[in-house]
Amino acid sequence: MPLGAEIPVREVKRYWGYYGPIEHPEADSYIAEAVSALEKESDPHHIYKAFPIEVEGDTVRIESRTLESAALARNLTGCTKAVLFAATIGPACDRLVKRANLKSYTLMSCYQAAGAAAIEAYCDKLNDKICEEARAEGLYPRPRFSPGYGDLAIENQKTWFELLNITKNTGITLTDSYLMVPTKSVTAIIGLSPVNTPCIRQGCENCNMSSTCEYSRERN
Amino acid sequence: MTLKERLGKEWLFCDGGTGTILQELGLKGGELPELWNLTRPGDIRALNRGYFEAGSNIVNANMFGANRFKFDNVTEIVTAAVKLCQEARHEAGRDDDAYVAIDIGPTGKLLAPMGDLPFNEAVEVFSEEIRAGARAGADVVVIETMSDAYEAKAAVIAAHEVCDLPVIVTCVYDDSGKLLTGGGIEGTVAMLEGLKVDALGVNCGFGPDKMLPIVKRIADCCSLPIVVNPNAGLPRTEGSRTVFDVMPDEFCEVMKEIAKLGVHVMGGCCGTTPEYISKLVETIKPLPFTEPVRKHRTYVTSSSACVEIGPKPVIIGERINPTGKKRFKQALRDNDVDYILTEGLNQEEAGADILDVNVGLPEIDEPAMMESIVLSLQSVTTLPLQIDTTDIEALERGLRIYNGKPMINSVNGKQEVIEAVMPLVAKYGGVLVGLPIDEAGIPETSDGRIAVAKKIYEAADRYGIPREDIVIDGLAMTISSDPGSAVTTLDTVRRIRDEFHGYSILGVSNISFGLPARELVNSHFLTMAMQNGLSCAIINPCNGPMMVSYRSFLALMNLDPQCSEFIAAYADYVPGAATASTGAKKDVAAGGTLTLAEAIERGVTGRAAEAMREEIDAGKEPLEVINNDLIPALDKVGKGFEAGTIFLPQLLMSADAAKAAFDVVKQKMAGKPRTVKGKVILATVKGDIHDIGKNIVKVMLENYGYDVVDLGKDVPPEVIVEAAIRDDIKVVGLSALMTTTVVSMEETIKLLREKKPDTKVVVGGAVMTQEYADQIGADAYSKDAMQTVRYCDTVFGV
Repeated sequence: MPLGAEIPVREVKRYWGYYGPIEHPEADSYIAEAVSALEKESDPHHIYKAFPIEVEGDTVRIESRTLESAALARNLTGCTKAVLFAATIGPACDRLVKRANLKSYTLMSCYQAAGAAAIEAYCDKLNDKICEEARAEGLYPRPRFSPGYGDLAIENQKTWFELLNITKNTGITLTDSYLMVPTKSVTAIIGLSPVNTPCIRQGCENCNMSSTCEYSRERN
Repeated sequence: MTLKERLGKEWLFCDGGTGTILQELGLKGGELPELWNLTRPGDIRALNRGYFEAGSNIVNANMFGANRFKFDNVTEIVTAAVKLCQEARHEAGRDDDAYVAIDIGPTGKLLAPMGDLPFNEAVEVFSEEIRAGARAGADVVVIETMSDAYEAKAAVIAAHEVCDLPVIVTCVYDDSGKLLTGGGIEGTVAMLEGLKVDALGVNCGFGPDKMLPIVKRIADCCSLPIVVNPNAGLPRTEGSRTVFDVMPDEFCEVMKEIAKLGVHVMGGCCGTTPEYISKLVETIKPLPFTEPVRKHRTYVTSSSACVEIGPKPVIIGERINPTGKKRFKQALRDNDVDYILTEGLNQEEAGADILDVNVGLPEIDEPAMMESIVLSLQSVTTLPLQIDTTDIEALERGLRIYNGKPMINSVNGKQEVIEAVMPLVAKYGGVLVGLPIDEAGIPETSDGRIAVAKKIYEAADRYGIPREDIVIDGLAMTISSDPGSAVTTLDTVRRIRDEFHGYSILGVSNISFGLPARELVNSHFLTMAMQNGLSCAIINPCNGPMMVSYRSFLALMNLDPQCSEFIAAYADYVPGAATASTGAKKDVAAGGTLTLAEAIERGVTGRAAEAMREEIDAGKEPLEVINNDLIPALDKVGKGFEAGTIFLPQLLMSADAAKAAFDVVKQKMAGKPRTVKGKVILATVKGDIHDIGKNIVKVMLENYGYDVVDLGKDVPPEVIVEAAIRDDIKVVGLSALMTTTVVSMEETIKLLREKKPDTKVVVGGAVMTQEYADQIGADAYSKDAMQTVRYCDTVFGV
């Protein structure tokens, strides 16, 4: 199954570190190659499900489990439900990156950047769908939040894997150190609130790495 | 009667869903159902009994996920599961005609090389479960809900190694007939048949209606009893409950259609209950039963590709082989895996269908190398492989680790070789090349070769290897020493087809050994061999004339619909006469007449390599060119990068160009000692699988004259320390991307300090900072590849 979402070239360039005007005949063709291969060879899968949640202090309770994170608790304040989701563009990207690594480091890093942009694009589409369904129920969605982001420890991945049966449903697996394979995969939580509160800051502004991160939107 | 005797002879029925029923009884989302074997045994016994009473012949013990990743007490859980199922069978009065199954589900981990579970560890994990189940007296092993054929292979090997029970495997396909890991139906069936399972099929995923087309495809290629266990429709969420919409009557209506496709064992999966199964038994039992039919189809497969032998000739790339190749031998000695993988990719791009893999060299550990190259190749290419070795241990290591059903090169008519090779092929599966050579040597006539071929077919029969999995070599030998040899070979090829309905293979280029202009003879011989029925051609697909013969033959024989492959390959073809007059220099456009330094600065890879070649051909010392042209150009780009005027993609393009120029030097100097600034270890630490940053550092260090020992990713501290001691390494570079894996970085540094205190450690990676590096006791922090180069220059004093 192809990706079904357009990979924005602007995002590929940002992840690649292609900030200025690079005068090189091959730079754009690298991007074109990676984008078209990924749009064609990706095999995306996802799973999502809504659960009732409770927020108390820095703790979020979900299905008799807890997530400890001040940033997440702040994000979910006022929410009664949350959607947990997992999404992947499938294993082909990892193979293509490895292949490209043998031919050219430039191409390899370009595939890597295009893969990052692809999974984000796929998640954005999924996010839109989840938000639409929530609004139809009269709920207001919050920006998505992932384990390993801010102060939500990556070990919390296992909560997602248990509650969503992710491996069976999407093929995403978890390594002993809580990294996902295929690597171009995302897990996240989207809070749903019965009241419309002003949008909470999202993205780089809310991240504790933003001052040193190569990919920060503010720096570029 | 045993289950083995009944499979494929009469209708048999599996059980239905477990999870949905346990959820009704109060199992919470995320709670482990296998724990109930100890905490609520009565409920589990009743669940099993319900299915025995409904008419199931095969009921799964409640142990789907009972592996060591979830439980410390696997044996206890499994033993309890089997006992409860046996008690249920007894209570239902089915002791005589129903069977208790050891139920094996996926581990939830992805196998190496893409994931972090090594294949042999997966075998061990499954062995533990199956051993416990077999000791408790279970009757059959059911490996189910597999979405990775490679993991299924590990489970089948485990089952065969720890018990003699029959083995049934069912996988989950999506509606396009693919596994989540990319495998297709025909390939998965071929691999499982090769592994000698007793029945195979499909379960879970969706309801019977969507399963119908999948079952049809399985029935078209499968020679074994077929098992079909669908869900009660597609799962749907209602609140936080999972519900299924297909009711028993509707379920059975579609199952009736599926039964007509030629299946043999039926049951249910998620959402089905004893009510479904009892209705199913009632519906299906009166229907006529057809025994499995042999399909005689030959497939060579990989994780996601499947090449059929027979319908048209296939190309087997011969380049991964050290014979007569200095550079390749050097790569084997240096463990330069990337060079070998590149040989594979080049052949794939040139049009190979299968890659031959021969890594035999007296001074290396061939079994270890075979295993490592098979694993590495399968992580970059989906082409199936032909394992080519005379070393039996290397053959077994390759066959075991292989993802799919490979080709094997080769067996011959010698009793001793048959006895060594055929048991392995019988165990692991594969398409076996048979050389018609025996104790008496190489038969000079086609009569003699056909006689030995017959002997090989008969030996295959004895070992239970299907005849369609044998490919006989026609033995191409040079016409320069025996002018009649091509005629004998072609005759042999034709007779293998006509007299055995068999498949043939040739190492085509042997025919011209000792002659000039070999490709002329080879390419014509290839055409003649294909016309005589050749099934597999072992050639160099990067050789133009050979592929011209091949593609022309396919187009002429109506084996290339609309000549599309031919047109795609030769739309820009320059006719011979024109080639001769222009000299056909295609590369001139890209890079023109740039100097080596300019080509590197601008990152024009092809031109950089060509310029280096020109310099060397003009008599310049390679080292001089590197120091005077290459390094300064690279340095200029590196300085620009450090100053922020040049971006990462540009730095990498220059690095690629410099690497291409270096490769030319390596090619020219293969076998000669070279001077290096120093040797550096690079590794991504244990637990971390991100290696892109590390790879960038590697190419920069190499371009600056360092010899890099790349230990890869997810590398345990002991391995790094051992390598540092072995080669007396001065600098180790460690990379970690996640805060969680910086811990392993710290452990590695500690162990190095203890065992090899004079080694310096430089660290980098997304989460690294100078502060962090100081905290874990690193000697230096590098924020990018250029800083690592600068650091190494200071340590090595250059």
